[in-house]
Amino acid sequence: MASAELVGVTKRYDGGGEVVTALSDVDFAIEPGEFVAVMGPSGSGKSTMLNVLGLLDDPTEGARYLDGTDVTRLEDRGRTLARKEFVGFVFQEFHLIPTLTAVENVALPTMFDSGDDGRAAALLSRFGLGDRLTHRPSELSGGQKQRVAIARALVNEPTLVLADEPTGNLDTETGERILDELRAICAEDVAVVAVTHDPDLEAYADRVVRIEDGVLA
Amino acid sequence: MARRNLSRHRLRSALACLGICIGVLAIASLGIFGNVLALSADDAIGDIGNQIVITPNADEGVEELTARDVGAIERVAGDAGVAPLKTDGAQLSRGSESTFATVYGIDRPGEVYVAAEGRLPDRHRQGAILGADVAETLDADAGSVVTVEGVDLRVVAVLEPTEGFTPAAPDGAVLLPESAFSDAGYDQVIVEADSGAEATLIAEAVRETVNAREDRVDVFELTAVVEDVEDFFGLLSGFLLGLGAISLVVAGVSILNVMLMSTIERRTEIGVLRAVGVRKREVMATLLVEAGLLGVVGGLAGVVLTGLLVAGLTLFSPVEPGVVLDPTNALYLVGAFAFGVLISVVSGLYPAWKAASVPPVEALRE
Ligand SMILES: Nc1ncnc2c1ncn2[C@@H]1O[C@H](COP(=O)(O)OP(=O)(O)O)[C@@H](O)[C@H]1O
Ligand SMILES: [Mg+2]
Repeated sequence: MASAELVGVTKRYDGGGEVVTALSDVDFAIEPGEFVAVMGPSGSGKSTMLNVLGLLDDPTEGARYLDGTDVTRLEDRGRTLARKEFVGFVFQEFHLIPTLTAVENVALPTMFDSGDDGRAAALLSRFGLGDRLTHRPSELSGGQKQRVAIARALVNEPTLVLADEPTGNLDTETGERILDELRAICAEDVAVVAVTHDPDLEAYADRVVRIEDGVLA
Repeated sequence: MARRNLSRHRLRSALACLGICIGVLAIASLGIFGNVLALSADDAIGDIGNQIVITPNADEGVEELTARDVGAIERVAGDAGVAPLKTDGAQLSRGSESTFATVYGIDRPGEVYVAAEGRLPDRHRQGAILGADVAETLDADAGSVVTVEGVDLRVVAVLEPTEGFTPAAPDGAVLLPESAFSDAGYDQVIVEADSGAEATLIAEAVRETVNAREDRVDVFELTAVVEDVEDFFGLLSGFLLGLGAISLVVAGVSILNVMLMSTIERRTEIGVLRAVGVRKREVMATLLVEAGLLGVVGGLAGVVLTGLLVAGLTLFSPVEPGVVLDPTNALYLVGAFAFGVLISVVSGLYPAWKAASVPPVEALRE
């Protein structure tokens, strides 16, 4: 069973009279433990595809599944719960909370639950940040921030990790380190979709799909 | 987390707190001020509102109240004390001291008066009962002998000095048995009820029975006056509280402004929270805790300042400490604090709801 699946998904934005078709009849599926790279030029619909996969945005047409469950039409509350249970996000801009320490940032998704039982600290140690637990994001380098973000994406043990240009703000060497980490996640049967226009990523992926003008090739 | 977010903009948060602080200070101190005024007035007025004084209606040619009138009044007065009085004036002396005093002829002084010295007889048969001022002027105690209009009388008791204003004030009077007066009628009847409401009822009943056929008597009751005074202080308190409330609402607007600014600044952060699975109402709760925290800190400061202000008022003004320490004043403090926190949370409601409702995709797209 696929970790995530899009069936005939079309996404249109209605921006001021002019309708933009960001995704056009996209079929896509990813298996547990698979690393898929989505490549395409800027504005081709890569982020839109990730947002629809990750329940941040809804498709205009078509259906989507997470772990075999139809999650095409969910209310905000249901989408939020499903995101929390199934999906981890890694962003190009890291999006860490500046007032929180590294370990608090990692624990953020569990903040309103009973707590994370030290899982956040363990994840940070695994990503080589065991000595940076109480540092604020401003005290961390770009690569360290992105590793904190990856740890945060994993804290709820998701089945799907979505990374939108995860190396976009990093130098090549640091980027490679991040890609190694993402690659390693797949060993735990987590499916990873990474979006990029960086050709280096191809080397890390099990499979590369290309998108242009909202059409998946 | 709330505390850290607030400390990001210390000055802004401090100003919002200050607003709430001033609001709470205003509402609590104005409330206490009004309350202290009302309580002080209450003290001064005393039991005046419980008394009614019934006098013959000279306009109708009635010169005195008869035993029948008194009987009728006693029937409608029920449990209330009824004291028919005969009034005159007399020269009093003891040794070298002498004074002019009102003379009341009264049969049962215990109904309306209280003794400071000696004992008030159930029926006043012999001797004299002195008002506090008279006793002091003559330097007389219970047991002394005073001369009233040439007759030597033993002092049976000395009355308590009266506080505030009372009709038929006995301080400058001497109470003699009714037998000291030659005519049978009375000049006035004092009725002492247990409450202002009871006094009003009795006054009404007296008008209906004694004045049933002709207006024989004038009924003078202070209840209405006292009620007017109390109404006035109620209005004054309400007005002062209203002023305080307005300043607190203004403070609420500043909280609204601070929260709105800070949620707009943190739009992306809030989007991240929502993206990683934090629910709308959890985001709202976090933001409301922030607003509430501003209210709690500001409110506590306001309560402390009010406490200092009230302490100062007690030290440097003639207000009675008992009135200031009255437990109802604490109620104003607690009420003002609670209202301050409530205003803060309510003011945070809209910004929090607005921030939590932004779809995370939009918050994250920059
Ligand atoms: N909220 C939106 N409203 C209108 N148009 C949008 C919106 N989001 C994305 N688009 C448009 O959809 C297309 C795909 O955008 P996006 O998925 O962000 O591309 P990519 O991530 O590949 O650069 C672009 O033409 C973009 O302008
Ligand atoms: Mg993009």
